[in-house]
Amino acid sequence: MKRRQLAIALPFVLPNLLGFMLFTAGPVLFSLCIAFSNWNLMRSVPFAWTGLENFVTLWRDKDFWLYFANTLYFLIGMPFAIAGSLALALLLSQKLKGLVVYRTLLYLPSFTSGVALMILWKALYNPDFGPINYAIEALGFHAPQWLLSTQNIIGLGVEKVGFDAKQLGLGARDAIIIMGVWTAIGGSNMLLYLAALTNVPQELTEAAELDGANRWQVFRNVTWPQLAPTTFFITVMSFIGGLQGGFEQARVMTGGGPAGTTTTLSYYIYTKAFEEFQIGYASAISWVLFAIIFVITLINWKFGNKEVAY
Amino acid sequence: MRLFFLATLATLAALSLLAWKLEPRFAPTGKTGLVWVSDDNPQRKLQIAGFNAESADCSLRLDPNNSGMQKIIVQSLAGVGPDLFDTNANNLPVMVAADVAWDITDALKKRGIDVERDAWPSALPHVRWNGRIYGIPANACTNALFINKKLFDQAKIPYPSGPWTWEQFLPLAQKLTVRDARGKAQQFGFLMDWWTWPQFVIQWGGQVYSDDGTRCTLDSPEAIAGVQFLHDLIYKYRVMPSPVEEAAMATQGGWGTGSITQFGGNRAAMAFGGRWWLCTLRKKEQFPELSLTVTECPHHKERVFYAYGRSTAINKHSPNREKALQYILHMAGPTYNQGINDQADALAPFKKYCEGDAYLHNPAFPDEDKNEVWRDVMAVGKPNPPSPFISSQLADRIINRQLDLVKNDQKPVADALRAAASEVNAEILKTLQRDPALKKRYDALTGGKS
Repeated sequence: MKRRQLAIALPFVLPNLLGFMLFTAGPVLFSLCIAFSNWNLMRSVPFAWTGLENFVTLWRDKDFWLYFANTLYFLIGMPFAIAGSLALALLLSQKLKGLVVYRTLLYLPSFTSGVALMILWKALYNPDFGPINYAIEALGFHAPQWLLSTQNIIGLGVEKVGFDAKQLGLGARDAIIIMGVWTAIGGSNMLLYLAALTNVPQELTEAAELDGANRWQVFRNVTWPQLAPTTFFITVMSFIGGLQGGFEQARVMTGGGPAGTTTTLSYYIYTKAFEEFQIGYASAISWVLFAIIFVITLINWKFGNKEVAY
Repeated sequence: MRLFFLATLATLAALSLLAWKLEPRFAPTGKTGLVWVSDDNPQRKLQIAGFNAESADCSLRLDPNNSGMQKIIVQSLAGVGPDLFDTNANNLPVMVAADVAWDITDALKKRGIDVERDAWPSALPHVRWNGRIYGIPANACTNALFINKKLFDQAKIPYPSGPWTWEQFLPLAQKLTVRDARGKAQQFGFLMDWWTWPQFVIQWGGQVYSDDGTRCTLDSPEAIAGVQFLHDLIYKYRVMPSPVEEAAMATQGGWGTGSITQFGGNRAAMAFGGRWWLCTLRKKEQFPELSLTVTECPHHKERVFYAYGRSTAINKHSPNREKALQYILHMAGPTYNQGINDQADALAPFKKYCEGDAYLHNPAFPDEDKNEVWRDVMAVGKPNPPSPFISSQLADRIINRQLDLVKNDQKPVADALRAAASEVNAEILKTLQRDPALKKRYDALTGGKS
């Protein structure tokens, strides 16, 4: 009977399984192998196994560290996006008229095409006639050049990782972060928080209120601890997404510029593999990126998990 | 339930089969379908129609969506590449090294076509690599200076005519740059696409690479002086838009936009552009007030102009490569070359089609009465060939990063170009370590000083 069931089930599972093996597991393993080779699409260079050479090169690659710093810089937006999602979820968990409409509207950026949003934001950031700078100038402030500027809020250097006072200000990296926060606030994180909020036991909240706790105290001591598993999950996923991100923005909005300031590791992998054809080297970067993500996730798990109340 | 699932599976399989069977064939029955990967310049349709009308057994189709070099290489090596693709001097070495471009030297010789003798010399780097021919020049171009007659007339300034120098050009450009009380530009004296920066290096007597391609020479005083002048056009003389001002003039996307539509929209009095700009600027419905003339671009020490273009090559792995050769032969013939001139898709790649009245006076565009300018500057056009010792894409990334800083006035020109040259030269050495054949060639040129 089991064998018969398996025979029926297999044809249904097989397309998915084959697809996974062919297009996910296979390429992943293949990329691991070629990370130890000099493979590129130029056939003038004979294929050779080069051991750890790609990884040693990467360690000395100034660009890799610059773009890694850019990638980390983009994570600055993460706490704001998480806090914003939580705030929105709290608002939307109130009993309001037209709640479905609000929820739909706030979720809108998540199901709008990313490229369309980026083109829209590119226009918003236009230094001369963009509405953002129009508003900033109307308030009497000096308007930044946004996507055209290499400046950033921590003064990260352009050509080497380190502080450069000349780079203090607002620029392309910050523009992308702001857009990212805007997109993420109303997205799936908000939905996760909404779901988690409905699971907070009502009796705990009521008990706290009966004991005289105000709204902030209820949130701080009852709701927030109950949301810890969700916050932990969102944080872990945001780290993973953030470290892998930046490709679309670089491709659509900035081309990785100005002067490489919006090039992240994922865009660098693309550039190395598909513009410079150093497939072996690009695979090595991919695996190093994977290792970085893995380590950060482990750290998150080790330390973040302690605060999680189940 | 089991029956239901099995029936679903069978239906899906049947539908897939049906879809495969119903897939439309793009070539008419009896003709071989050829796919050409090129840009979506509207003129391609006319060029394709010209070929399809002449060919008895081929039907050519444009694929504008796969024109990235990486896509062509990956698809070709996977056996699903196009039959023909466009390339240029920068990409050709990669296409050859990737074993994608088909060597057609002998095939052309057999048919009596001598590209090296008959095409514009500056178009040759787009088809020739290591002494072999891998394609046919699709067009040829050296930029000239477009003049917006309306803006000149308004300022009561006579139209300039070449040969002339940048020193003569500057006061004119300054007069034609109009700013409001807040300093915001209403109109610029001069406009150009930043990617044509090698023009300034060449005119100031510099080169991006040494003659043998073994060194990046952007750190030479000549190259620095040339780019410094370009920088000064923006920040010292203020006749050309800065990146911020450029963004403020940004137009909608699509083929032939950017500087072209800004110029067409009367935002600048003069623009450094190629004859192919006319493909867009001829659209009266888009630019009803535009009235143009053209003269040669100012020069500095040397009266030379940056020449560029593109070529069409055949995918070595195409099962139809012999048929694709028909299109290449067509591109060497009168229908294609005269078509390029008539459509203003730059200049016909074969010199002889740019002589005579048919080229000089197109009855459909009587206002274009200075066609000899394009031909004359083509004769002194100088290409900017890439170095064979470094990937052009990598070199471009390094150089453009530094030029980004120059363009944004964030780094002195000399520092930026020295950094670019030093980084490119370091990458050349790294490339040599990876590629023994290239190292041998390099050592032969430098006497083993790598």
